[in-house]
Amino acid sequence: MKPLLFLLPLYFVPLFSGNEVVLTILIFTFLLGILAIGFNIVFGGAGQLTMFHAAAFGIGGYATYLSMQAFGVSFWLGHVVAIAIVTVLSILVGWICFKFRLKEFYFAVVTMAFAELTRLVVLNWTSVTNGTLGLLVLDKPTLWLPGMQLVRIEGTLPWYYLTLTSLSGVVLFSLLLMRSWIGRNLSAIRLNEDLAQTLGVNTFRHKLFAFTVSNIVASFAGALYGFYTGYVEPAYLAVSQSLDAIAMTLLGGVSSTLGPLVGSFILTSLPHLIELSAEVRIGIYGAILILVILVMPRGVVGLFQGRRHVS
Amino acid sequence: MAQVIIGQILNGIILGSLYGIVALGVTMTFGITGIVNFALGQFMMIGGYAAWYFTDRAMLPFPIAGVLAILIAAFAGLIADRGLFRFTRNNLVNGLLVSIGLISVVECVALLLFTTTPKNMDFVIPGSWTIGAITLPRMKVATFLLLLAVIGLTWWGLARTWLGRATRAYAQNPEAAMLMGVQTEVLQTGVVVYSCALAGLGGALYAGLFSLEPSMGSLFILKGVEAAILAGVGNLLGALAGGLILGVTESVGSLYLPTAFRDAYGLVFLVAILLFRPAGLFGGPK
Repeated sequence: MKPLLFLLPLYFVPLFSGNEVVLTILIFTFLLGILAIGFNIVFGGAGQLTMFHAAAFGIGGYATYLSMQAFGVSFWLGHVVAIAIVTVLSILVGWICFKFRLKEFYFAVVTMAFAELTRLVVLNWTSVTNGTLGLLVLDKPTLWLPGMQLVRIEGTLPWYYLTLTSLSGVVLFSLLLMRSWIGRNLSAIRLNEDLAQTLGVNTFRHKLFAFTVSNIVASFAGALYGFYTGYVEPAYLAVSQSLDAIAMTLLGGVSSTLGPLVGSFILTSLPHLIELSAEVRIGIYGAILILVILVMPRGVVGLFQGRRHVS
Repeated sequence: MAQVIIGQILNGIILGSLYGIVALGVTMTFGITGIVNFALGQFMMIGGYAAWYFTDRAMLPFPIAGVLAILIAAFAGLIADRGLFRFTRNNLVNGLLVSIGLISVVECVALLLFTTTPKNMDFVIPGSWTIGAITLPRMKVATFLLLLAVIGLTWWGLARTWLGRATRAYAQNPEAAMLMGVQTEVLQTGVVVYSCALAGLGGALYAGLFSLEPSMGSLFILKGVEAAILAGVGNLLGALAGGLILGVTESVGSLYLPTAFRDAYGLVFLVAILLFRPAGLFGGPK
């Protein structure tokens, strides 16, 4: 439960610093952290390099907003529709990939292909998604709080707490999942899939479950992201979005729940700390990525864990 | 209509042979050394810009510029292999991430040096042949024949020469190859450098036909990987065939189906191949 302790001080940050920039950077850290943790359920958990989470992220944003418009429901009910869509898609894609026993390179390529196909559909279904221009999201999520009735989440501070609470929930969920028997079976699959199967683990069902859950978490991140920034666009589903989450996870460290969070924090805040033109920033980002992979393969969190075995 | 279709097929063949040369690089590096180099598209861009610079700015004849472009791409490949890729052998995820880092760095440098303005140059071999109602620009024909020759020679070199045998032995079992006196370190670097040189050649020829942009690399690596998988990783002549199939389907397909989904055909192909013929179109049963 250590990662939750790390999150605790963050609840008090707004008391000390009302600085909009700091809070905004932290909000983006939390949002992308949710995405990275979602990705790590299937990568750090079951050892499958998926590239589909950007598609889930984008669908989360689009489907939530569109179903709110179509059915006149709240953000949360709209997101239930998005979850339903993502679940169906994940089971479809996962079923195909795992039934045909695609692994490693091929699994990554096929999930990327499906993500690209999804992006092309979103891009070209102009009547619904408004094509490359994307959609403006003017609605805000509402929350029922005791004593205050329905509250629209607007402004930096409410968003800060909404995203931080969501992140805490996702971290808790991921920790519990990884510590449960399902998580242990997933670890067994990651370490030696054939052996896990021999020992009676239904690898197909476990991988499919991890893949689906991971995508649902990613869709949650996408929905919040779209509503926070105020627009959804096809770039949410792009390969580069998947790669960002992968980079964050790797940078922070794959073996823990804290890793993706640390990576998300570094990669989100770094570009804001150094004033650079957009092109140079991307170049530096790439250079950092290369250095991290070659110099500290266990990520930032790995540096502090020493040689201790991590489950 | 027939004219249009034939025209599209020819365009597809040219584009497909360019996909093929990248696919050859992908297939060689992954199939032989186990290194995943997703930055090959960027080496192609390096070759393209080098060729453009030497012909358009330094006023050298195109063949010399082309050779220089290949050398520059190969040298960049040498640095990348010694500095980066040799640490990622047989580790897909790290190779992928290092490539992504490299892509960002190379594109950043290209943007700073050449800006986003597309760079054009004149057709090196002007004029065209006309057969009936079909016109064939000579430069395109020359490009296709050159690529065909290079891919054919690579295949011949691997299949027939001593070096090729050593390379194949290395692909099957690096340790056994080392015991038989193959200099595995040199060989591994050689394969990576060679694939980058191929990409450089592709880039130089691309520069002679189309306009250059710093972002061109990503498209070609995607198509290259698709073509390589289509044919089955490790199949050299198949890489060319895969590229051609992809190029022609895209070009002809966009006549009948919405052009917006042009990039989707390759993906659908890819998924279908991986599911039903995992060893590739031309591979035996796995």
